[in-house]
Amino acid sequence: MPSKLEGMWSDPPATAVGTLCFFACTDAAIERLNALLDDPKNDARPFPQLAAEAQKHQTDNYLRPRLTEAALKTYPLDPADDPGFLRCEPWGLARQIFAPHQIQIRRLANDRVELHYGEWDAHRTVYMDGRARPAGQAPTRLGHSVGRWDGDTLVVETTGIAENQMIWRARHSDQLRVAERFTRSDDGTMLHLTATLTDPWSLREPLVIKRNWRWAPTSTIEAYDQCKPPIAVKRGVAP
Amino acid sequence: MTVARTAVVLGLVLLPCVGPAWAHHAFSPVYDSKRSETVSGVVTEFRFVNPHAMLVLEVKDDHGKTATWTVEFAGRLNLSEIGWTKESLKPGERITVTGNPTHVVSHQMAFVKIVKADGTVLEPAAAQRADVLEEERRERARRRTESK
Repeated sequence: MPSKLEGMWSDPPATAVGTLCFFACTDAAIERLNALLDDPKNDARPFPQLAAEAQKHQTDNYLRPRLTEAALKTYPLDPADDPGFLRCEPWGLARQIFAPHQIQIRRLANDRVELHYGEWDAHRTVYMDGRARPAGQAPTRLGHSVGRWDGDTLVVETTGIAENQMIWRARHSDQLRVAERFTRSDDGTMLHLTATLTDPWSLREPLVIKRNWRWAPTSTIEAYDQCKPPIAVKRGVAP
Repeated sequence: MTVARTAVVLGLVLLPCVGPAWAHHAFSPVYDSKRSETVSGVVTEFRFVNPHAMLVLEVKDDHGKTATWTVEFAGRLNLSEIGWTKESLKPGERITVTGNPTHVVSHQMAFVKIVKADGTVLEPAAAQRADVLEEERRERARRRTESK
C-alpha cells in the first residue's frame, strides 16, 4: 500500500470552503459560495448566512432534482426521527463516510485496509483482494467494501448496504452503491474524498459528494460510549 | 440574581455556525436556537465524553434555592480539536454559562459560551473558526480591489 494516505486525518482547516464542507458538499455548493464571496454586495453579510444560502442552492438545484418520487415522499426526514438520535443507532454507510472529525487509514494486512472514523468510533474493512460479497449475505449497515489502487488513489466500491438514510435527510434502498476515491493533495496536507452514490430507488442520477480532511498525526480517536437517548424532543423543527 | 433570561435573541447571533456544530444528532429537535439563557453557578461535574460532553452546575436563585442545571456540548472529538481536555472545567469552579434552552425541558441548555471567574472565555469550535474565516474574507476583498 502506498503510504501517501495512511495515517490520521481530521477536520478541514477553517477556510470558507473547508467550513462549508465540514460534513460534505457538492461542487454546486462550492461554486455558489465562491460566487457569493466574490460579490462585494455580500461583504457585510455574516458567513453563516452565505453558507446557508449556498447549501440551499445545493438542496434546490442539485439534491432535490436528483431524488426520485419515492424518495421525495419522505424527504426531508424529520431530524427528531433519526434513529442515531432516538436510539443511539450508529449511522449507515451513506452518512458515516461523510462524518466530521477523524478518519484513520491503515493497512491491516496485505489484503485489507481499515477506515476508522472518530464519529461513532466506526470501523470499516476494505478488502483489497477483490473478494466478492458472500452469496446470500443480508445487507449490512456499512456494506461490503472492496478496494484497489489507481496510482496513488484508493478506490473503494461498496454494495450490500442496508436500507437507511443518507446524508442530507433522504432515504436510500438496499440497492445503493457507493464508489469512493481518496486522494492526497499535492502538498500532502489534505485528504480528499469524492463519493458517487447510485440507487435506482432513491436517485434519478448519481449524487457526487465531496469531503475533505487535514493531515492530523497527533489527533486521537476516543471512546464513543456515552450516547444516551434524548429525554424530550420537538418534531418538525428544521435544523 | 444568578439566572438571566433573554427572551428572543436574533437567531443569527446564536445559531450554531454552519459546519462544525453538532454531529451525532441534529440540534434543532432538542434546543431552541432563537432563545438564550445565562446562568451562574458552581461546577459539580464535567463529563468529557462522546458523543456529547456534559456539564452539571449548581445554580442558586434569589431566594437561595439551588437548582441543578445541565449543559450539553459537542463531543470530546470536537472539543479536543480546539484544545479542550477533561480538566477544562473543574468541580468547584464558579462560572457563567450562556446557552440555548431546550424546547420542553427546564434547567438544560446547549453550550454557547462560558466565562470563568478569572475572565477566561470558552467558546465552541465554530466560534474559533469564525475569526479565521473573516480574515480570509477580508483578504478576498483586498485581492478583489487590487485586481480592479
